[in-house]
Amino acid sequence: MTISVSQLDELFERASDVGKGEYVIRAVDVKKVYRMGDVETHALRGATLDIRRSEYISIMGPSGSGKTTFFNMIGGLSKPSFGKVYIDQVDIAQLDPYELAWLRCRKVGYIFQAFNLIQVMSCLENVTLPMAFAGMTSEDARDKAMGILKMVGLEDRALHKPSEMSGGQQQRVAVARALANSPTILLADEPTANLDLKTGEEIIELFSRLKEELGVTIVTATHDLKMLKQSDRVVWIEDGLIKKVSTADELDIQLEEIH
Amino acid sequence: MQGIKIRLGRALVTISGVVLGIAFLMNILTGTLITRAIARENKLRQQVGLMMALVNQDIGEVKGATIGVVVCGALQDHEKAFLDQVLKQKPAEVRGINLTMPGVTPSDEHAMGKDTDLCLVLGNAAGCPSALSTLTAGMKHAIVLDTSEGRTFAGAPAPAKARELFFVGQKDEQDRLIAAEKTAQFRTVWIVVISLLVTVIGIANALLMSVTERFKEIGTMKCLGALSGFIRQLFLIESAVIGVVGSIVGCLIGIVFPLLAYTLAYSAQTVLGSLNYGQLAGMAFSCMLAGLLLSIGAAIYPATIAARMIPAMALRSNV
Repeated sequence: MTISVSQLDELFERASDVGKGEYVIRAVDVKKVYRMGDVETHALRGATLDIRRSEYISIMGPSGSGKTTFFNMIGGLSKPSFGKVYIDQVDIAQLDPYELAWLRCRKVGYIFQAFNLIQVMSCLENVTLPMAFAGMTSEDARDKAMGILKMVGLEDRALHKPSEMSGGQQQRVAVARALANSPTILLADEPTANLDLKTGEEIIELFSRLKEELGVTIVTATHDLKMLKQSDRVVWIEDGLIKKVSTADELDIQLEEIH
Repeated sequence: MQGIKIRLGRALVTISGVVLGIAFLMNILTGTLITRAIARENKLRQQVGLMMALVNQDIGEVKGATIGVVVCGALQDHEKAFLDQVLKQKPAEVRGINLTMPGVTPSDEHAMGKDTDLCLVLGNAAGCPSALSTLTAGMKHAIVLDTSEGRTFAGAPAPAKARELFFVGQKDEQDRLIAAEKTAQFRTVWIVVISLLVTVIGIANALLMSVTERFKEIGTMKCLGALSGFIRQLFLIESAVIGVVGSIVGCLIGIVFPLLAYTLAYSAQTVLGSLNYGQLAGMAFSCMLAGLLLSIGAAIYPATIAARMIPAMALRSNV
């Protein structure tokens, strides 16, 4: 079955026109069960969360808590076994693989802990790759990519390969790539984990700027305390359930400084 | 950077595998072609030699003699070669009916026989328009050599001595040769099939390793919106390129080596002169096509595995 790009555009436009949602992501009683042979693993046991437009959310939790599963679900990377996930008013369980791919291409931008840039391509080519998947012409793609690279402060490194750049710069290219198709949501999995303190701060500052200037919704999975401080809300997941949602002020975060 | 170097190295190894497989195939095909060409050439020379021997037996030396040639129907290869040989021996005159060649005087039925030493009847037609008596009128010795068995002559039977000039290999010998070629062919086909199978398995293996190593890249691309079909195409194209490069190099090697080998054994003229280049080009093309198709075929399984990968694999930062 093939759907043309314009048809998909219409589908999603219509969906988000329905009261240009205050909530860009809604997870309603989400359950996820993994079956390996006879063993059933309940990764999520009923998580409910609403994320508003332009919000900056951090998700925390110990390993095995279902944090990664929940994260994947919000990002359209997997479907819930029970319950519903709405991304921009669209129920992702109803989407077939093509439509999911489209969603990932146009609505969500991904940032990984290990940057995951393609080593054989230059930075510019890395940023224009998702635009190619979205069907943009190469000229428009180049112009837009240069614009985004300028926004993250890397326009003079556009033709360099990732191996020629530092970790912080690579992560910034990854952020630029995530912004390629003007997504509504930015999904970042431990973006500062592979970076030193200073570069980590630069990335966090970049995220805040993006939130202000572009109005993107940012969802991060992180242990970085500095990121938690910048968030609007912090979500704590444990044992497949959302145990606590609090604002950054409510959390008593004390950063120890090393002199 | 290290990863890229490893991948390039592996691509080279895979290409070498294709080169060897295709070169082997091409080698055998070229060898067959060359041996057949040489056999054909030898047979031709043998026939011509026999024909000349018969001529010399009847009239002695061709040099200085007057020869009449009647052509009935199209000339075959050995007849043409025979005529060339005759002309090379510098006869005094060669008169021809239905024959236009440099050095041949056009003649007709009645003028044919006057003072002619020998009359040759060539061509593949079953009947000859002229009567033997007309042709041989006036000949010094009424000797007619006929290259076709069972040819009939119009008009009255002649007082001439019509001798057969054709060469028939022993039937049993021919059957034996045909049978031997068939068994040899079956064995070579089997060997070629196995070697190509090994090549295909090698390509599939190399690609599977590539897919496993690149799971992060594939997962990332899927996160960015790449469709499964796109990922599959990526690997099929990679394999096709390996196939094309390997096939071309393999074909070239498979042609050059047998040519060199046979030229050393026989002579350059024999080998290169008698070879059917059209057939060789056709074989080379089909070999390259076969190499390309095998490469793509070998890639189908790994490419499908890559295409089915779930994007969430890319997020696994602890692998």
